[in-house]
Amino acid sequence: MTQKELHNQRLVREAEETVARMHTRRHFLKECAMGFGGLALGSLLGCGTGSGSSAASSIDFDPAHPLIPKLPMFPGKAKSVIYLHMAGAPSQLETFDYKPELMKLDGQDCPPSLLEGKRFAFIRGVPKMLGPQAKFAQYGQSGAWVSEHLPHFSKIVDEVSFLKACTSDQFNHAPAQLLMQTGGARLGRPSMGSWVTYGLGTENQNLPGFVVLTSGGKFPDAGKSVWGSGFLPSVYQGVQCRSEGDPVLFIKDPAGIDRDLRKASINAINTVNEEEYKEYNDPEILSRISQYEMAYKMQIAAPEVMNINNEPQYIHEMYGTQPGKSSLANNVLLARKLVEKGVRFVQIFDWGWDSHGTDASLAIDIGFINKCRQTDRAMTALVLDLKQRGLLEETLVVWGGEFGRTPMMENREGKQNPFKGRDHHTEAFTMWMAGGGIKKGYTYGETDEIGYSSISGKVTPHDIQATLLNQLGFDHEKFTYQYQGRPFRLTDVAGKVIEEIIT
Amino acid sequence: MRLAKINKAFLVTGTLLVLATIFVFSTSRSTIDYSTQVKPILNKSCITCHGGVKKQGGFSVLFRSEALAKLKSGRYGIVPGDPGKSEMIRRINLKDPEERMPYEHPPLTGDEIEILTKWVKQGAQWGDHWAYVPVQKVEVPKPAGSFFGLFSSENDWGKNDIDYFIYDKLQEQKLKPSGEADKATLLRRVSLDLVGLPASQSLAQQFLHNNNEKAYERLVDSLLSSPHFGERWTSVWLDLSRYADTKGYERDAGRSIWHYRDWLIKAFNEDKPYDEFLIEQLAGDLLPNATDEQFIATAFHRNTMTNDEGGTENEEFRTAAVIDRVNTTWQSLLGTTFACVQCHSHPYDPFTHDEYYKFMAFFNDTRDEDTEADYPVLRHYNEEDSLKVRKVIEWLNKNNFTDRARPVYQFLKTWQPAVNSLLSDQFINSELNDTKWLAFRNNASARLPHVNLDQSNELIFRYQSSLPGGVWTIHVDAPTGPVLKKVTVPATKGWSISSITFPARSGTHDLYFSYTNSGLKKPTDNGMMFDWFYFTQSFPGKDRPGYDTIKNTWWQLLTKEVPTTPVMMDNPSWMRRNTNVFVAGNWLVKGKQVEADVPHTLNPLQKNTPRNRLGLAKWLTDKKNPLTARTMVNRLWEQLFGTGLVETLEDMGTKGAEPTHQQLLDFLSWKYMNEFNWSTKKLLKEIVMSATYRQSSKVTKEHLESDQYNRFYERGVRVRLSAEQIRDQALVASGVLSVKMYGPSIKPWQPEGIWMSPWNGEYWQTSTGEDQYRRAVYTYWKRTAPYPSMITFDGVGREVCTSRRIRTNTPLQALVTLNDSAYLDLSRQFAYRIENEMKNNDAKALISRGYEILMYHQIAPGKLNALERLYNSAYNKFKDDPGKTCEMIGVNDSHNNPRTAALVVVANALLNLDEVITKN
Repeated sequence: MTQKELHNQRLVREAEETVARMHTRRHFLKECAMGFGGLALGSLLGCGTGSGSSAASSIDFDPAHPLIPKLPMFPGKAKSVIYLHMAGAPSQLETFDYKPELMKLDGQDCPPSLLEGKRFAFIRGVPKMLGPQAKFAQYGQSGAWVSEHLPHFSKIVDEVSFLKACTSDQFNHAPAQLLMQTGGARLGRPSMGSWVTYGLGTENQNLPGFVVLTSGGKFPDAGKSVWGSGFLPSVYQGVQCRSEGDPVLFIKDPAGIDRDLRKASINAINTVNEEEYKEYNDPEILSRISQYEMAYKMQIAAPEVMNINNEPQYIHEMYGTQPGKSSLANNVLLARKLVEKGVRFVQIFDWGWDSHGTDASLAIDIGFINKCRQTDRAMTALVLDLKQRGLLEETLVVWGGEFGRTPMMENREGKQNPFKGRDHHTEAFTMWMAGGGIKKGYTYGETDEIGYSSISGKVTPHDIQATLLNQLGFDHEKFTYQYQGRPFRLTDVAGKVIEEIIT
Repeated sequence: MRLAKINKAFLVTGTLLVLATIFVFSTSRSTIDYSTQVKPILNKSCITCHGGVKKQGGFSVLFRSEALAKLKSGRYGIVPGDPGKSEMIRRINLKDPEERMPYEHPPLTGDEIEILTKWVKQGAQWGDHWAYVPVQKVEVPKPAGSFFGLFSSENDWGKNDIDYFIYDKLQEQKLKPSGEADKATLLRRVSLDLVGLPASQSLAQQFLHNNNEKAYERLVDSLLSSPHFGERWTSVWLDLSRYADTKGYERDAGRSIWHYRDWLIKAFNEDKPYDEFLIEQLAGDLLPNATDEQFIATAFHRNTMTNDEGGTENEEFRTAAVIDRVNTTWQSLLGTTFACVQCHSHPYDPFTHDEYYKFMAFFNDTRDEDTEADYPVLRHYNEEDSLKVRKVIEWLNKNNFTDRARPVYQFLKTWQPAVNSLLSDQFINSELNDTKWLAFRNNASARLPHVNLDQSNELIFRYQSSLPGGVWTIHVDAPTGPVLKKVTVPATKGWSISSITFPARSGTHDLYFSYTNSGLKKPTDNGMMFDWFYFTQSFPGKDRPGYDTIKNTWWQLLTKEVPTTPVMMDNPSWMRRNTNVFVAGNWLVKGKQVEADVPHTLNPLQKNTPRNRLGLAKWLTDKKNPLTARTMVNRLWEQLFGTGLVETLEDMGTKGAEPTHQQLLDFLSWKYMNEFNWSTKKLLKEIVMSATYRQSSKVTKEHLESDQYNRFYERGVRVRLSAEQIRDQALVASGVLSVKMYGPSIKPWQPEGIWMSPWNGEYWQTSTGEDQYRRAVYTYWKRTAPYPSMITFDGVGREVCTSRRIRTNTPLQALVTLNDSAYLDLSRQFAYRIENEMKNNDAKALISRGYEILMYHQIAPGKLNALERLYNSAYNKFKDDPGKTCEMIGVNDSHNNPRTAALVVVANALLNLDEVITKN
């Protein structure tokens, strides 16, 4: 049996055992629902009180235990996902999409053929072409081109699959981020992480199943909706873990209450609830008891996993982390720690990639280089670190923005911007994926010689979502939730698994 | 069962009716019923490939006309009366999996095949889904043998007609109802249900100590007349109307729309009949002589989001808002999923693709255009200025300018109908600044298309100008066309309103603007920027007495910065916007043009009503509309019982959940419309007076076996409180609840770092004084970052309409009530209150009192022991560690002693008890 088959077998067994355990517990509960004596603390009681509202869905939703691990549709190659979203949309032309021809056009008027019938967010009239603001070289066995702004990344080109011809149909940040994360450009749909935790539950009940980490000083443009649960039960929304203040909201015992006292108070609450159960026999009370026990454990587990102080020095050097600071690097290291602890989906948003050239921090030749520096070391470290821990095979890592940038220099309102910048562009951008059954050292898709249009291997956000679900063991066309009288999918009515990048 | 005296004549009629029904039923027994027998099979096994979106082989079973049509193969799927010639019947009988239907699925059962065959033989008649048939009067199912209106002695459980329906179903299932809950439980339940708060101590005492059989009814009546009633039911409506205090999307900046929330509270409190309640929200602006309040009601559909992100296409987001209005209207008011018809005909319900856009046409001709200021808005003048407004209007009327009074009034109150500068185009050295406002650089020009100048000789405009010396010229019909006006523009401080006059012109014209200002140093500097243009006649009556004063008053009122509320308003005829079908739902691909109309399968528009939102509102509240009353009754039932009679509140269509008690739903809907005249309070009273509602919620082993989810109501409701109720209850228990009503939303304590919208300088400034302790319904709601503790308890983001919250149970909820500083603060206040009331140090007494405040009955010894143990361990800890006491209470607080600190820990535990956060 190959390594892969063994791995698949293990995943299936794991999920089957969990389901079996759940059923036994339910059975036990039903049998013992009456005459239940003292309930031992530390018990994890399962009691189904499902509303059965999602009749057409294949997923068993148990509101009392919504995050219990569940089986995927088929053995997935990945168990968890780390998604690095560079909010604001990084330029493909200064990172991965090497376009020497564009340099020759630098400073020339944009030909009308690129403008006719097109609409841009800020470019008006005839803009100038802007050559790549970075030098490129080829690396690794695969000979992938990488810009000088990403010196670390050159070490892992043979671990990743590049998607060079990503496209979007939304040219404003909020709708494009929503499309990328929720499959719809309008608000109200569940995010990828919500779908995944809804479908698979989570392994570690002492931590949230879907964790969100933000850096760059701002939320992504679409706000919390990009990790919202839409029409799925709100328990599936991303839980934001923070590097300042409480790592999870309300996780810290309040002033004056120490751990012993908290334990005593949860004991007292649960004892009263047990008394209540004797009188009312409502299984929901038992589930409340177990939620309070879990809360107590989460109070220990979450701050522990969110603390990077105890990581060895070489890890800090590898990631470029500085404990106590709020940074992308810290979040990326946290993502590794969370996945290691059994968190299902870690979503990272890093704000500040919107290089319009309206000020220095948003200039393609100034602020953008700083952003590259921040992401470069951390994302490289993540892939290498997961690999050295044997986690890369079962962790899918995705990196990208919500759209790309124009090969033209932005001329907002038809006039020269104060700094060099590029406008939003939906027709071509680069993303990469690694681990979780994705091909190593592979490039899929191609853009034209100036990086304006995708000419082959074009993929959409729905394709990326379909692929992500596929790697986790879901057929994106069958993984649905019944809402407003019809089954809804993450991928709406589109999407195709990108078979070319799958091992 | 107590029933009103029943006269014999009625009984006889009743008997005959029952007999007649039995007769009809028995003779038609072999007739196949479409809705109950055929449709379930079609929906389960056929419609996925043969209906709505997909019509494999040219066959669809959605409409009869489609099903009888010729197939691609040339054959006929269904030939009424002749199963032998019907391809469908042939194919379901085949054995070959390649040909047999359903394709790639298990074959139909023998019974199913028989039903379909018989049905075709009997003529293949289509029936209507129950929810699309107008509500009929329903006979109360009084049990056989009880024509004297009395249950036998074992059934004296019932209190009103509702119970007959419930009892009937219970009997069918061989189940029995539960007895009445104890008084304390019932008190807490009905109070949380009707006013969203635990009952006040005085109301509680009145009820608990009154053994009169009318005591419960009196309690219900006082709750229904409490001002808190409106606040509680407004919370429900805020989810439906997607109310928020911000505009949504990227910048998610603040929006002042709280007047609408206050309108809802007042409407619920005064028990505004539900039909009027809806008419005003949908079309208050179109009512004759609409009042400010009626305008404010229309903010219902201005709760759609506005996108302020730079570089966005305003028309795209205007369209998104209009689509949201259609979907929200259907989901919230008509309990039907309509959103799928946006892209294609409904796969399961009888709505066609075109009908979506016909319906959209009702909403598509409104003035809103995704402007940053959320135009159109209602301008709120203070009392003094309102008097001035009235004076202006009186002066006009007195001087026989009655035809001008209306437009002058409207413009003062709404700045409408103005042309937004974002409609301009053909920019040279000009652009829409941030894609919002027309901005000119030096030597700029732009066009403002399609402006009606009929009888106009004055232009009032809102603008800003960064430096003096700019020259603005308006040409008519061409960039070099005749000059309408040329003016030199002074510098302004921010936005300003000005007016210019020009020789009167008529007709519709394109206006070409040009602008020069040699003072502009850089070619990229903006000189002048416009918000809107209003073309009008000059203020009339130059020769009349008082003209100068009144014109001056008018101008001051007009230019005054006042608070506003976004409202609905239709376009004047010359701005009329046509509606087209969007091909496959894509707003950029316009299909044929359509006129406003309602789906053909429902009641038609009323005769003699206009084809606008008012006509729509009248249609919606017509008693023949099958959906409106049912939707609301179902919603109210769900609020009281935790689950609707149709579980899917948002969809009563064929794919929604089956109703558990359709007859009861219809009975109540009929009564709501015809007997209660749409009085929501009467309907609520009817429900809470029933024995069904008053049952004990204790669960037995038999219950779990027979009806785990309590679908047949063999026991009372037991569900977790809503996010709002949990907070409000804690406020009441701790004695700090502020009963202040109305006004701008408040910001109670929340952790740092929740608000981080890009390009938005707004921040959360915690409210002070009593505003910290106001009911949850007044909490400021930011769409992209809602109040975190309420979201944890299944609150919704209110980006779009949400029909029902799905209750979950997670550890994060425990963390809120255990650790959130807001709850700690309330635990402290709760402990102080208990101490104040008791004035002794006996732990048992203090804890018992705390429990009683929350639960209205004595604490059981086992519970008391557990909490006393907690008190003791906390006390010992605080006694030995004064530092901890200080941390818990605060150094300079008079409550700073270990006993109080221990009581705070217990108070916090009390607020976390399952029975406390549950409605029993």
